[in-house]
Amino acid sequence: MRDVAIIGVGMIPFGRRDEDTLMDMLAYASLKALDDARLGEKSVDAVYVANMGGGILQRQTAIASSLVDRLSLLPAAAETIENGPASGASAIKNGMLGIAAGFYETVLVVGGEKMREVTGWRATDFVASMTHPQAEYPYGITLPGMAGMFTRLGMEKHGVTREHLLAVSLKNQEMGTLNPYAHVEMALDRDGIFDSPHAVVNNPTSADPLHLYDLCPVSDGAAAIVLSSVDFAKKLGKPYAVIAGFGQATDTHTLAEREDPTDLKAVTLAAQQAFAMAKIKPADIDVGMWPNYTMPLPSSKSPRVNMSVFSRRGRAAKPPQPVRLVSVVRSRSTSPAA
Amino acid sequence: MKKEIAITAYKCRKCGKLHYPFHDRCLECKGREFEKIKPQGNAKLLTYTAIFNLPWGFDQRFLIIGVAEFENKVKAMGQIKADSVDQLKVGMKVKPSWEPVRVQYGEDVYGLKFEPMK
Repeated sequence: MRDVAIIGVGMIPFGRRDEDTLMDMLAYASLKALDDARLGEKSVDAVYVANMGGGILQRQTAIASSLVDRLSLLPAAAETIENGPASGASAIKNGMLGIAAGFYETVLVVGGEKMREVTGWRATDFVASMTHPQAEYPYGITLPGMAGMFTRLGMEKHGVTREHLLAVSLKNQEMGTLNPYAHVEMALDRDGIFDSPHAVVNNPTSADPLHLYDLCPVSDGAAAIVLSSVDFAKKLGKPYAVIAGFGQATDTHTLAEREDPTDLKAVTLAAQQAFAMAKIKPADIDVGMWPNYTMPLPSSKSPRVNMSVFSRRGRAAKPPQPVRLVSVVRSRSTSPAA
Repeated sequence: MKKEIAITAYKCRKCGKLHYPFHDRCLECKGREFEKIKPQGNAKLLTYTAIFNLPWGFDQRFLIIGVAEFENKVKAMGQIKADSVDQLKVGMKVKPSWEPVRVQYGEDVYGLKFEPMK
């Protein structure tokens, strides 16, 4: 198995993008990544599109083939990957495997969702379609509702309080103000969403004990990366990243059947695989990311977990100090869910 | 008229592991033979939430949903008959019933409901 390089990245600002179709957003992010990779007129061998909602929200299928056509990447192989909120990470993994196996030289991976096309009720129902069709869905359970039940357990078992959740919420909100791609770039203060009498209006309960600002917004957006073999990357004469490790694991479909729902077994197993492949320990990690629709519990519902460890290698003659990023990509890598 | 609780749990004939809902192979030992078990007795509330942002298809202002464990260890999700989460506690006893939980295409869909017991 050979190493896989990330040679280009592209993202468009998230938010409510009424003027763009799903295909527009996928195309914009893809072109940014292809340009960043300096591929010029060159095509890629394969395109993987991560998308969960197209079939339900846009009534569009075979999205990857459509994108290859729009981007004039014909006759590149095209596949759409639907794996719930883990679709983005799954698409990256599949692109990576194609290159690692020596089958492909270059792969474009792009993920996108257009969730604001429908009302909040419809979007919430769409995301809830990943719950168990008989044992969970009919009751009106939602993904934030699942996260609420996990959080309740975390409160009982580990003494998590609303103040703990608030600290995460304020930190994340502040990060949003520093991120030009963020949907909500608005600094919040503790008083406005917690202490003052207006807090119940500004930050209402969404899925008890979780409140509005404990959850991510429902967004339109897209992001893309271009993968290649390391040999190919070296010839580009620009810095590139190497995927040092990844992991993926699955837990039971229903929340009720998890041995200990707060244990996040799939996350733990995926992380162990990623660390083993990268030959590093958690203590070696400088920056970690847990994309998810709710902050408190990273594995709040989806049984599918992907994890990747990246290391950065520059062109420097001396071995550079690698910056290692660990990314538990379990929510969609492109847009947060309802 | 009180309706019978129409869910079925599956007990592995090889290792005894209890499943709900159905799996084609036992999650513990991969066995394929199961004894059908009906949930029995009252239940214990394991976790719960009140959802204020409901999916399309529900007209209520909010819904309280939880997971409970029956006396014969079957665990299942259901709607909770309470006005507020303030009336609930993890570990409390709840009484199960089989009632309409939503309306789909003009028809009642039946499911589990749990009512807190004094």
